[in-house]
Amino acid sequence: MSEIFIAEDFLSLLLEILQALAPIFVIFIIFQIFVLKLPKSSFLNILKGFLLTYIGLVLFLYGVQIGFMPVGKYIGEVIGASPHRWILIPIGFLLGFIVTIVEPAVRILCAQVDQVSSGFIKEKTMLYTLSIGVAAAVALAMAKTVFGISLIYILIPGYLIAFILAFIAGPLFASIAFDSGGVATGPMTVTFILSISIGAATIMEERDTILHGFGLVSIVALAPIIAVLVFGIIYQKKGGNLGRRN
Amino acid sequence: MLSRLKKLSQEILVTIGPIILIVTILQFSIIKMPWMVYYKFLIGSVMVMAGLTILLYGLRIGLIPMGEMIGSALSNKGSVTLVLFLGFLIGFAVTIAEPDVIVLSSHVDFVSNGDIGKLILVISIGIGVGLFILIAFLRIILRIPIIYILIVGYLTILVLSFFSNPNYIPVSFDAGGVTTGPVTVPFILALGLGFAFVLGSKSKTSDSFGLIGLASIGPIITVLILGVIYR
Repeated sequence: MSEIFIAEDFLSLLLEILQALAPIFVIFIIFQIFVLKLPKSSFLNILKGFLLTYIGLVLFLYGVQIGFMPVGKYIGEVIGASPHRWILIPIGFLLGFIVTIVEPAVRILCAQVDQVSSGFIKEKTMLYTLSIGVAAAVALAMAKTVFGISLIYILIPGYLIAFILAFIAGPLFASIAFDSGGVATGPMTVTFILSISIGAATIMEERDTILHGFGLVSIVALAPIIAVLVFGIIYQKKGGNLGRRN
Repeated sequence: MLSRLKKLSQEILVTIGPIILIVTILQFSIIKMPWMVYYKFLIGSVMVMAGLTILLYGLRIGLIPMGEMIGSALSNKGSVTLVLFLGFLIGFAVTIAEPDVIVLSSHVDFVSNGDIGKLILVISIGIGVGLFILIAFLRIILRIPIIYILIVGYLTILVLSFFSNPNYIPVSFDAGGVTTGPVTVPFILALGLGFAFVLGSKSKTSDSFGLIGLASIGPIITVLILGVIYR
């Protein structure tokens, strides 16, 4: 048990999350005194929400610290040290697909596009395309670590494509697309998948851990942007011009 | 309340379950990590699931209604300057509480042996988001099309990346990706809605879109600037 629960780590986490929540809490108190002036019961309800947010954050981050981060790194190190390090690429693809298809925020985005295109772009079509897109992005990010490709060579063409598509797709789809960059980078991407690429970059001597381990999140964020824009363009070419009206 | 909690925990089980399954398959096939590491992973997974459930529930009864109330309070009596200032302040405050931001910063702190410190990274990311929420609001007032701000933003990033410490480049782009999470998104949207009310007829529905996209440019720029300073 002593290996699982390290009191020192836990205490520093308790303090850290207290610091993280303090500013927004102070803003709330100031608003409560000068502007909101909520009755006692609603005030207490929000305080309860803050307390639960605090407990939830501590549990989540401690679980990530003892579970997801070390195991992700371990997997990356074992595969990265083996002669078959390319296995990271299909594993990345699989993880990217699964993490995206189950992510609630992704479903909300797909429903939103379905709605904006008046049902022309089906929620399911969008969901599967996006999941494959993110899977490809994670695979590409793993390939970047395995082969030591510089992040810039992936991001510059990626964003160039995104901007060209954004001009064709028009302002409404451009806004939705750039907003959607974050939806695919849910809690599992940073805690688990990124740990794998960091682990792999650590173990490969010819790779710099920071230069080749990080960058995965930004590649993943490009996938939904491009996917939404492509769907926006298809919609306008074949489905009508509703997207341009706003 | 109970049915809500039940639905939340089911949603989270569906999100985390597949990861547990994959790690378990890997454990029995090619990875074979020490059992202690695997057990810690299982215990950690339970904590992650419980933590996420409690966190999301807490946000729904605490921070989200608070964001909506502040948003509508602004729509009643807020001046434009006040809203701009609050946009910055609240953007900063919610970002530093975002779990993904904290996790990314721990990764960076650990890998760089503290060269790129956790606290300074979290603060830079927070300032970046706050600044770009302010810019996003200004854009709505001045009616500048979002695509121009995006282009100027990304050009700034391109230029800064030539002068920045190379180690900060991947970190900065990842920082841009982690700012949009369960804590920030609902809050920023509620704030944006309140701001749209302050502006009244000058604002269009499509203005509420684009706020999140702009919010993720800010941290890339501030972290790159950090890299210019610590070159």
